[in-house]
Amino acid sequence: MLVIRAITLDDVDPLIEMARQVGSGMTTLKPDRDMLGERVSTAVASFAQTIPPEERDYMFVMEDTANGRLAGVCAIKAAVGLNEPFYNYRIGTLVHSSRELNVFSRMDTLYLSNDLTGSSELCSLFLMPEYRTGHNGKWLSKSRFLFIAQFQQLFTEKIIAEMRGYQAEDGTSPFYEGLGRHFFKMDFDHVDGLTAVGKKSFIAELMPRQPLYVAYLPEDAQAVIGQVHRSTLPARKLLEQEGMHYEGYVDIFDAGPVLQGRVSELRAVRDSVPTVADEGTPEGECDITLVSNTKLDDFRMILTQTCNGGAKVALSMRELQLLNCQAGDPVRTLSLNVRKNTNA
Amino acid sequence: MYVVRPVEPADVGALEALLAASTPGVHTLPRTREKIAALVERSCASFAAHVDIPSEETYLFVLEDLEHRQLAGTAAIHASAGSNGTYFAFRNDVIQQVSRDLNISHSVHALTLCSELTAYSQLSGFTVRDREKAGREAALLSRGRLLYAVLAPHRFGDRFFVPLAGVTDDNGQSPFWDALGRKFFKMDFLDAERVIGGARNRTLIVELMPHYPVYVPLLPGLAQEAMGQIHPSGELAFNLLAEEGFEADEYIDIFDGGPILQAHKNALRSFCGSMVRRVATQDQPPGAPAQLDTMVNYAVASSERNFRAVVVPCTPAESGDTLCLPSWAQQALRVAPGDNVICVRI
Repeated sequence: MLVIRAITLDDVDPLIEMARQVGSGMTTLKPDRDMLGERVSTAVASFAQTIPPEERDYMFVMEDTANGRLAGVCAIKAAVGLNEPFYNYRIGTLVHSSRELNVFSRMDTLYLSNDLTGSSELCSLFLMPEYRTGHNGKWLSKSRFLFIAQFQQLFTEKIIAEMRGYQAEDGTSPFYEGLGRHFFKMDFDHVDGLTAVGKKSFIAELMPRQPLYVAYLPEDAQAVIGQVHRSTLPARKLLEQEGMHYEGYVDIFDAGPVLQGRVSELRAVRDSVPTVADEGTPEGECDITLVSNTKLDDFRMILTQTCNGGAKVALSMRELQLLNCQAGDPVRTLSLNVRKNTNA
Repeated sequence: MYVVRPVEPADVGALEALLAASTPGVHTLPRTREKIAALVERSCASFAAHVDIPSEETYLFVLEDLEHRQLAGTAAIHASAGSNGTYFAFRNDVIQQVSRDLNISHSVHALTLCSELTAYSQLSGFTVRDREKAGREAALLSRGRLLYAVLAPHRFGDRFFVPLAGVTDDNGQSPFWDALGRKFFKMDFLDAERVIGGARNRTLIVELMPHYPVYVPLLPGLAQEAMGQIHPSGELAFNLLAEEGFEADEYIDIFDGGPILQAHKNALRSFCGSMVRRVATQDQPPGAPAQLDTMVNYAVASSERNFRAVVVPCTPAESGDTLCLPSWAQQALRVAPGDNVICVRI
């Protein structure tokens, strides 16, 4: 069976192994022992609450209990941009109008901004290819929302997720070719690599400080602003179902969209149910559900069938073990799928 | 024989004919009789005005072919380019991009909408009949108006600039405009020039044109190539102005990207190289070959009140305090021996 749990120091080696499979494009998971080791230490300290809330980085792993291997990883950074500047482009509007000439031009502009500083960030999601079946991907992504719902007080009001931007067949980014290349004079892969080793803010400092008119960019660059990489489209839809939206912020290199959501408006926060675990088998109309315990220092979550209604949630002995719970312990549940007619 | 002189009301008809035949690239002079008459009237009033601070005056000069009693060219100076508003131009800026951490250092060329030229005096309206065949008289025309400024410095700013028409194709399309102005004005280049009357000091410019720097590498190649390039019709003017001491690299026109030449007056040859001399009469009629060898061409101008300028070969006047002029030149300048003139080698 699979369980999603808070990461531990023992997970560093398997995590590095997993990071080798990630490939380029995911800048926060590079197979670098120093970087990942430090990150896992931070995560462990985060769950133990030994560092201040804004410095925390909650990392979760999906473990296959049958063989003890890691199947996936995901994370929530408590706050971005507090150590080094966090840059995005904000799509703004400038209207140029002349009554005398009867001309009215509405121009989109790109403003270099640090507006999202302090937001919590969903990041570093990766699922091993052999586990990309069934509900695993969806579950791994949504697990973070249930965590946020359980520990709302640990998060700022705003949650963001940076989505990988559009790339052409040959792997180039039309937006980067149309804009960034002129200012950095290096290939996208190189920039991407620098971003991974924490030099994104250095690079951003080379960007023009003044707003740019989108109309100056080549058409293919204009067209991909706010567009995700083809392989990221399902992930985007999934986050949008959970209450996150594109609100005009994009990555400064590939123009991939930043999705944003208010914690209080997330589906998980509105619809998840605090309840009590019970040993038994579910009866009645059932639904695929995320069930987590409520312990921050030993956070664990399973995906199972549970029934609607009722004061308690019936779980098997095995499931209770996976959650490190006993009957009578508090748990929190969230249906995996968005109910079509909720609270009708 | 040519003379440069202030335009007169009687010139309106001849001007209309001359301007009708001139290049469409020059947008700074009117074409209709009514507007030409208004300009001439304004010029006459400007020459007659007592000026403390340069303002709305426009001085229009004509080049007259004395032999045929015909007008052969025009040139103008606006005392203050922004007298009716702010004069807008793009300034060529270089933004240095340096990151020690990344070992990157390069520069990015940007265009910034600026109004620095507002207080400058603006040369404009340079037209010459039969441009291809034009000789010294074109140099006289270009320099003559500056000699007026030398004689009447209080009427002008300390700095001068000249916008020259930029590159357009056979259909009147401007690649620079297409990449930039069109996106804001939503109209063809010539249509835009028509509605704005060739002006660069109208409020609607600041309403419509970009407020933020234009990063040149983002512009299409054709537009980049057109920046600072002159329309072929402007080549003569460009060469004359470059010789005069104007510099081209700092500003370009916001519409067609043509160069805007500018200089402090002290950098101009008309200002720093002109000398005041007393008129004397040339003893011998020119023609003796030995004498011709030693003669140099001077642009000679009379006075602020009664301005005339001619180009005439004379014996070098650097060492003496007189300038020997043939009688035709004295007549054309309306001076007599003993009067002061200013002269500069041409």
